[in-house]
Amino acid sequence: MTALILPFARRSEPGEPKHPADVEEDPTVERTRPDPPASGVHVDGWGRDSIFVERITTLANMRWHVTLGGVDRLPSRAGALIVVNVRTYSLAPVFTALALCEATGRPVRFVGRPDTAPAGALLRRLGGLLDHPEEVRNALRAKELVVIGTGRELHPQRVGRIDHRLIGAAVQERVRVHPAAATSSPFSRHARVEIGTEINAGRSRRGPLAELELADAARKRIRSLLEEMGGWHSGPLFDWLSMSGMGGD
Amino acid sequence: MPGQRVLISGMGGELGSRLAALLEDEPWVGELAGIDADPPRRRLRAATFHRIPPAETERIVQTITDFDPHVLVHVASWEPDARAGTGTAKVLTDHAATSVLGAAAECKALQAVVVRSGIEVYGRARGSLTRPDEDTPLDPTSEYGRMLEGIELTARSVSQRVGVPVTLVRLAPVLGPHVPSPLGRVLRQPVVPFSVLADPPFTVVQDHDAAVAFCAASRQRHDGPVNVVAPGSISTFQAIRRGGRIPLPLVGPEWRLVRAMSWVLGAPIPDHVAELFHRGRLADDSRAMDVLGVAPTVTAVEVIDGLHAWESVVRVPARRQVA
Repeated sequence: MTALILPFARRSEPGEPKHPADVEEDPTVERTRPDPPASGVHVDGWGRDSIFVERITTLANMRWHVTLGGVDRLPSRAGALIVVNVRTYSLAPVFTALALCEATGRPVRFVGRPDTAPAGALLRRLGGLLDHPEEVRNALRAKELVVIGTGRELHPQRVGRIDHRLIGAAVQERVRVHPAAATSSPFSRHARVEIGTEINAGRSRRGPLAELELADAARKRIRSLLEEMGGWHSGPLFDWLSMSGMGGD
Repeated sequence: MPGQRVLISGMGGELGSRLAALLEDEPWVGELAGIDADPPRRRLRAATFHRIPPAETERIVQTITDFDPHVLVHVASWEPDARAGTGTAKVLTDHAATSVLGAAAECKALQAVVVRSGIEVYGRARGSLTRPDEDTPLDPTSEYGRMLEGIELTARSVSQRVGVPVTLVRLAPVLGPHVPSPLGRVLRQPVVPFSVLADPPFTVVQDHDAAVAFCAASRQRHDGPVNVVAPGSISTFQAIRRGGRIPLPLVGPEWRLVRAMSWVLGAPIPDHVAELFHRGRLADDSRAMDVLGVAPTVTAVEVIDGLHAWESVVRVPARRQVA
């Protein structure tokens, strides 16, 4: 059997300066590093690129002028799930996330990016997450603000179905769920997002009923927020035309 | 708990040597021994090293059972194209895992096992989570991932039979000045390929942080997996630009040609590194602090900056000029 007894003796003589080979490498010692190039920005632990988000936000501001209400209802540090209604082709989760990011100064994720390049890669750099309960749960556990969309609806006052599995992620992580009503128009820059107060399903459930009831409650609250925001119910004649861009829609 | 016997398999590697140096300073460690095919890369004060190739199962079993460790730290895994080709690495890793973990199961004093694994075990299949945590089902999609999954299965089997906790330390790709890493080698080339359509984010871990995590794992003796990854992440393009290298944008089919050329030039791109370039590699690190009491401090960007700052040749002056 080959057995070597360490150490390999190599010591500096007492009194003389330490030999370079005798100095243990100190990981805390500052090393000379190359200067980062101008574009050498980094992404966060989820692949979101803050510089890219800033640039896209500038572009998005040319498309949408978002009026945001109820931001103070969101937690300042803890995680929260924000459920927003989605009209077909409106990209409501994206502009909601960008607007919230601007308003709160926190990175805001949105759910629903594909997992194929290049669209998936671009949306990931914007803060997109996969439509997967575990993905949402991990983000909420990391105290992130996550925006999910309801099912798509063509009518501006209708609210699509909410994936209760995504709500279940919030239930399991014991984070707040907030409804959000979003209105926008393809012919106008004006968009409005109103964040509601935290949803409370009313009963405490131990099983999966909690997420089902919370999803139903969220849907009702979004509908009521949309009604409060006005739209075609209260406006003049042109507000009836949901795509006109002249009303609250 | 003072006076514990700790055995490190894979002590000769950079990670094993660093870990041995850290464990020597632990007050609870009484005796420290190590096994590897190559001698340690650092000066160790108190550790006993046994140079045994992984194929010599009988000698490994005899050495481990004679030492009768309280804690076994198994870091002997060969990353494909780091020190050996994929085929050889697979055989060596399998030999080491079977003989070392099998021998440990025969030791009566054994109280805990710590095993090196990697976040490659989660795989990067289509639709897989961006940041898998420790509860995510294993679905390795590369040869290295499957090798690590095999080690984990062997370790879990030993844990069930003997009834000792097994900590599975799942490391991000380890980078350090002396760590043989195919990823580090590729990123230090003057021209580095990257997937222009995906440019995915990935994370890494510094070798010292990884060794600290292993040291904490052998002390804490958690039963289950824990991810050890550097905070933050970096995309492949950004990693290339930070090093001042020339990025070579690729779309798809030409990857095969580039991998072959890179292999000829001495920087092979194994499938798990190619997967990282195409699909990224991140993992959730929130459990490390709770389980181990420590977490990596050097960020992914700092590790990459360090990678580009390391000198190719370190010149140590002579102790005394004689001519």
